[in-house]
Amino acid sequence: MATGFLTDTTVCIGCKACEVACKQWNQLPADGYELTGDSYDNTKQLSGTTWRHVAFIENPKKRRLTGDVDLVALAEEVTEQLPGGAELDALGRWAFMSDVCKHCVEAPCQQACPTGAIIRNEFDNVYIQPDICNGCGYCVPACPYGVITQVPHDGRAFKCTLCYDRQRDGLEPACAKACPTNSIMFGEVEELEQIAEERVQDLHDKGYTQAYVWGTPEVGGTGGIKGNHSKFILMDEPEVYNLPRHPYLPQEKVKGGTIASMIAAGVLGAVVALAFRD
Amino acid sequence: MSETTREGVQQSNGRVETSHHPETDPQRKDKNYYGIPPIKHAHWTWQIPVYFWIGGLGAGVHLFSTVAQLLGHRDEALTRTSRYTVLATMLISPVLLIWDLGRPERFYNMLRIIKLRSPMSTQSWSVFAYGNLGGLIAARQAAEDGLLGRDNFLVRLVKLIPARFLSLVALPVGLNVGSNTGNLISATSVPIWARNWLFMGPMFLTSGLSTAPSWLSLVLHLTRSGEEKTLRTLHRAEKATLVIEAGLIGASLVRMSKWSKPLFSREVAPLFVGGTLLGGITAPMALLFGKESRQKSILASVLALAGGLAFRFAIIKGGRISADDPEAYFTFASEANAPQPEDKI
Repeated sequence: MATGFLTDTTVCIGCKACEVACKQWNQLPADGYELTGDSYDNTKQLSGTTWRHVAFIENPKKRRLTGDVDLVALAEEVTEQLPGGAELDALGRWAFMSDVCKHCVEAPCQQACPTGAIIRNEFDNVYIQPDICNGCGYCVPACPYGVITQVPHDGRAFKCTLCYDRQRDGLEPACAKACPTNSIMFGEVEELEQIAEERVQDLHDKGYTQAYVWGTPEVGGTGGIKGNHSKFILMDEPEVYNLPRHPYLPQEKVKGGTIASMIAAGVLGAVVALAFRD
Repeated sequence: MSETTREGVQQSNGRVETSHHPETDPQRKDKNYYGIPPIKHAHWTWQIPVYFWIGGLGAGVHLFSTVAQLLGHRDEALTRTSRYTVLATMLISPVLLIWDLGRPERFYNMLRIIKLRSPMSTQSWSVFAYGNLGGLIAARQAAEDGLLGRDNFLVRLVKLIPARFLSLVALPVGLNVGSNTGNLISATSVPIWARNWLFMGPMFLTSGLSTAPSWLSLVLHLTRSGEEKTLRTLHRAEKATLVIEAGLIGASLVRMSKWSKPLFSREVAPLFVGGTLLGGITAPMALLFGKESRQKSILASVLALAGGLAFRFAIIKGGRISADDPEAYFTFASEANAPQPEDKI
């Protein structure tokens, strides 16, 4: 049984309850009190001490609401024919996304880890064993999503554990529990895939044709990663959310590189041998 | 609010300067999230490029002396220098590598498992094996040189070490120490490194091998030892490997294409263009291809060695800039720019 997240960004309200719940449950230290000026996002990114991060994307392309608009009708998701030709796209004006470890099917960090500290646990989540990690930091540039970092004063690498401890006690992860709009859903991957498909279909039917699932092998997760256990329903291009369009598995070419090196070693050996001829 | 201000606000509404969305912000062509890097760079500090350099040197020196051994070219000074060099590099390397760990006291976890898909794992094992083999070979050399005392039990024991056989065993391991560092950095999400997976290992190995004859000839010249033939061979090998290195760097630049930009950035260009291409390859070649003299050879050796070090720093620093550039990563991780499983080369 594989568990994972489905983060439906269309209903995220940017409350950051997931960030707080994650920090609190996992007893993660604060990241300082920097004011970035980047919208309402002062967290900036995922790191070894931030395992949920809410991105705030302001999308001023969609025009503001003008004229006499029936707000009740809007709330009931009637988007067409607004007075004065105005467009109100509540989903487009603000985009929030609660980012998290993608728990790749073929995880680059796990393949990179030389100590075997990074494993797949019984829930098929990618988990770092903190008693094994020796802080070599090789998983950090291996991650195609920039999720893992080393925690400076600790030395080891950390990331989302998908609340391994809570799952073992039959509880859902802290972020999913705290999410007030059910933007963060937790469950079995297959079940979540079905929910995602239905939700995207629903959004398409309502006219939001740009909605799609990110983290399937088709979209995001090509190149050997084979998809993610943490999926997202997005409304814009992946880059807008700081996500790569086609991430790939960095270890895919280790074999090829090694063969190329062997050939080079043979050639260089021959060159040195030739140099001995007077 | 005055009429003009109101108008200004209304006109600018939808294109607020602080707003992020790239499609509507005329000042921003790139698509990313406030310029925050989508991937994280490696934390590696100076110890890692220095290790890459020293490890490459240790590998190259051993290749040279083992080929000499295989061809039946006996030169005591060459053998001695090479064996002690390998020992020294393999004593320094683990110190540098452990120093760089976040939890140095847990270094032994590197030898907890073997993972062929992880170049860091194979590298750790290679350094471990090569260091031990190099240590045994150097011990035999020390016994022969009389450094362990005269004819005591230890000397008799150490003289049982089959150094020439172990040199052959150590050769593939040593070559892996030299080339695997390149594969290690190319097996990441950093565009400039990952794009060049084909030439990274060969390039690092060749750079290590071009520093090796430089080091050997430098030591032999300074100690005024070594046979004439050895020195001539070393100069020929130096020239040949520098030419191959230049070729591989060129091929790598082609392969990295637009992602090679960090190497020519203000921060890295002095190291890459000045230190490596001009100082580390062109200058020693010019010195070596002219009329030979001891002084010129020493200078060429020093330049080639410094060039090798500058090259490792340039590649590591270039990788950091590449990882911190959202545009580089997003263009790399789109369409077929990143290596795909079905790609052959």
